[in-house]
Amino acid sequence: MKQRATTLLLMLPALLLLAAVFLYPLLRYGWLSFHASSVLTGLVPVPNGGANWLRLLSDARFWTDAGQTLRFAVCSVALELAGGLALALLLHQPLQGRGALRALTLLPWALPTTVMALGWRWILNDPHGPLNAAIRSLGGSSYAFLSTPATTWFFVVLADVWKTLPFVALLLLAGLQTIPVDLEEALRLEGASRVQILRRLTLPLLVPYIALALLFRLAQALGVFDLILVLSGGGPAGSTESLALYAYLNAMRFLDFGYAATVMLATFLLLLALLGGGWLLLRRGGIERTPDRAT
Amino acid sequence: MRLLVLLWSLGPLLWQLRTSLLRPEALVAPLLEGSPWTLANYQLVLSGDPPFWRYLSNSALVGLVTTGLTLLLAVPCAYGLQKQRGPLRWGVGLGLVAAAMFPTVLLFLALLEIARSFGLANDLLALSLPYTALSLPLAVLLLRAAFADLPVELEDAARLEGLDLGQRLRHVLLPLLGPALASTGILVFLASWNEYAIALTWISRNDLLTLPIAIARIGGSSVFTIPYGAFAAATVLGSLPLLLLVLLAQRAIVSGLTRGAVKG
Amino acid sequence: MAVRSRLPSLRWRRCALMLLSAVLLSAVLLALLPSTGLVGAQPSAAQPIPIRVLMPAPLADAVAGPVARFNARGSGVAVEVVRGPLDTETISDLAISSLLLGEAPFDLLLVDVSWLAKYVAAGWLVPLERWFGPEVLAGMEPGARLGNGLGDHLWRMPLTGDTGLLYWRTDLMERPPRDTEELVALSRDLQRRGKVRWGYLWQGRQYEGLSCVMVEVLQAFGARWWNGATARTELDSPEAVAAAGWLAGLLRDGVSPKAVANYAENDALQSFAAGEAAFLRNWPYAWREIEKSDGPVKGKVGVTPMVGAPGEQGGGTLGTWGLSLIEGSPHPEEAVEVIRWLTGPVVQRQLAIEQGYAPTWSRLYDDADLQRRAPLLAVQRQALQHPQLRPLTPAYAQLSDLLARQVNGMLTAQEGPDQAMAAAQGQSLQVLRSVAGTTGPKGTASEG
Repeated sequence: MKQRATTLLLMLPALLLLAAVFLYPLLRYGWLSFHASSVLTGLVPVPNGGANWLRLLSDARFWTDAGQTLRFAVCSVALELAGGLALALLLHQPLQGRGALRALTLLPWALPTTVMALGWRWILNDPHGPLNAAIRSLGGSSYAFLSTPATTWFFVVLADVWKTLPFVALLLLAGLQTIPVDLEEALRLEGASRVQILRRLTLPLLVPYIALALLFRLAQALGVFDLILVLSGGGPAGSTESLALYAYLNAMRFLDFGYAATVMLATFLLLLALLGGGWLLLRRGGIERTPDRAT
Repeated sequence: MRLLVLLWSLGPLLWQLRTSLLRPEALVAPLLEGSPWTLANYQLVLSGDPPFWRYLSNSALVGLVTTGLTLLLAVPCAYGLQKQRGPLRWGVGLGLVAAAMFPTVLLFLALLEIARSFGLANDLLALSLPYTALSLPLAVLLLRAAFADLPVELEDAARLEGLDLGQRLRHVLLPLLGPALASTGILVFLASWNEYAIALTWISRNDLLTLPIAIARIGGSSVFTIPYGAFAAATVLGSLPLLLLVLLAQRAIVSGLTRGAVKG
Repeated sequence: MAVRSRLPSLRWRRCALMLLSAVLLSAVLLALLPSTGLVGAQPSAAQPIPIRVLMPAPLADAVAGPVARFNARGSGVAVEVVRGPLDTETISDLAISSLLLGEAPFDLLLVDVSWLAKYVAAGWLVPLERWFGPEVLAGMEPGARLGNGLGDHLWRMPLTGDTGLLYWRTDLMERPPRDTEELVALSRDLQRRGKVRWGYLWQGRQYEGLSCVMVEVLQAFGARWWNGATARTELDSPEAVAAAGWLAGLLRDGVSPKAVANYAENDALQSFAAGEAAFLRNWPYAWREIEKSDGPVKGKVGVTPMVGAPGEQGGGTLGTWGLSLIEGSPHPEEAVEVIRWLTGPVVQRQLAIEQGYAPTWSRLYDDADLQRRAPLLAVQRQALQHPQLRPLTPAYAQLSDLLARQVNGMLTAQEGPDQAMAAAQGQSLQVLRSVAGTTGPKGTASEG
């Protein structure tokens, strides 16, 4: 059938490029993970059976980082969804200067992550940063925010939320705009309060958008790298180190490519298991309109 | 309420603006002490070697080429995908969703090897190849949804008039896709403008650095104390184009997502 | 959705047009690229041979003058210095990704002493003894000779002889402390009398700089990190635990601020230069930085070699930089000439005067004129008599990473010194085992 062949041909260049950039690395990591390729082999891959995978299983740091990465992702995505929904509802209202307001609130999302990570480091500086200056002017004493695991973790999450909340809000705003105004009007005429409208109309109709934001953000947050590299370097005491950062250290600092590939592949598999599980749960929960099936 | 939102979004940025206008000594002085404003940080950044605008133009070049290339590949792919039926459509769609959610940073090691074997390192145009690939999944999904939105009769009518596929795409379908193309293009441009991990490993020459790497590196440029002032000035300079872009394109971004995102 | 919105408004058409023109513009730029100099021109036979050197920015700036003079001599070689970032870990990332990316992006690399074993094992460097002979280091201070050879080869020529130094405030005390106890006692006294907010500032952030601090503190308490003979770490010895305990005590007793646990060199220097502390641990360049500024402690700062615990010999961490020849350089002969000249006394003299970097050649330390113009010289020479090497093994990056992680954990009060050091020792042995287990055919496991 000629038309089918043509449409396939149309898809081919994009699919080839995608295969080169996504599929090839996965295959390559799979191969590398069964090889030793480090300074001690002169960076030449030498088969070493499953040594890398055995090492991974008993590598406490990998599993600690996995837990930390998951905790980071869950907390920041939850905050982003809650805040993003609130922001989207606000931006959906007919306000004066709404366009400018939308643009300005979008700005944090448009800026490079690393740039603002350095900015946060300055804001949190002890004792010269503005936050500590403010605390002192209120009569308190400076606090070393980035020297304590708990506060460092909090500000890493905050920085991530600050940057990506606008994006979530944007997605949800797009969803809000698809809700017909007359439905809302009808409910209001029936005497429903704003909270009731939100619960009975808005939220149910937003579910596919929320699911989409959830999946995308969760996947991105589980791969968090540059924010942590610049803001905390994984410290203090490795308490904010993510899996991606650990993989980066293994490759670029320790020059242990075999193990780095193992860590990356394992991270990907964990991510896949997590998202796959989440997706199944969502479907089980009776949500039919999951985003990738909706058309 | 509006004020609160603005304070949250812009507060950290305004602080950078203030920092960029202060002398280093004033930075460590008490908060509200009267301090003279200065443009010295901007001079420092703009007169660096290479000058700051070079990074801006590097990022702009990569961003534009990536955007163009992505749209060039994504439009036919999205059209073809929209015309597919059966398991292929389903499978490719799922693959695209999976790729769109893949954490970029996990790819850098293999991409670095590719760059080495094909001599793609230190080449801004080559850098836009992986960027294009990273942007493609989302772009195809958004554009496919936009294609799905177009009435089928439109294309049928065009076909009856004897227009071939290329003509139909160019004269009938693409003009209708304006908003979707614009919003997709902006998303792609922003993503490539901000990418860090791959630029970090593909580009090692000073004069070819993209903005995020260059700014992160100001942290250790020539002075021993952390040059927060110069760094803040660079942030402000690097943000202005984005501010403009977002201000101009805010409506396009929102409406493009409205049409596209979820129907993907 | 309303039908109206499906039709293209003029605005959208314009939008699409703009995008199209942007793409066209980039295509034009693309075509212009070769002529705008983004792509380097091929050197013709008449042009001088380019020798590219990667250096951290401050050192690159410091040698800019000498390099310009060298190039003006018309020797047929043009030295091209590439300014890298200052932070040792960042420039190491840059050097490594450059080396991984392609064949000899540079001819010469300024190598930190702590990278050497890794780079040698990776096969990136060319041995230099062929050009320099076995005796070339004999004219250097004993400390400066360390960390340049590995196995039976000479891998780099040292450019600087820096060690960690103790900075003290001449306006607050008569003489520098003689041991760690005096350092703490002086700090507390000054803090109690309200003269300074903090006693002692150092680098406690989770990064390689903390490992440098640890090397010094271990030495100060008679412990050691690395036993070259057994190729094992000795981090859980009672002395090592005592050393770690001393650092933890500094924070607990308020001699050092809690923020130290997030300080790198520049953070510590910034605070010390603002007059907030009595003592600082830093590298020699910090002194010039303080003297160049208009800060409150300008002219009130002295330096002294790192102190030990009572009865122990202190020693600063050896933090020397040296030039190495990159494997695959197309012009090794010319590159070696550049090494010879850049590490020679003329350039080192200028580095000492302008930036405070310690020379490596003994005769520069005897130069009366230089002594006058570089006041730290005597102290630097003294420090070079007892320098402390970091473990000379290709696995150093891993060992340093996990030690810094554990010690930083102790500083941020997650665990006690004995636990931290026991964990560091256990993990070090694990790393050494897994590294040893992967030794392949080209295994260059020559250590120290």
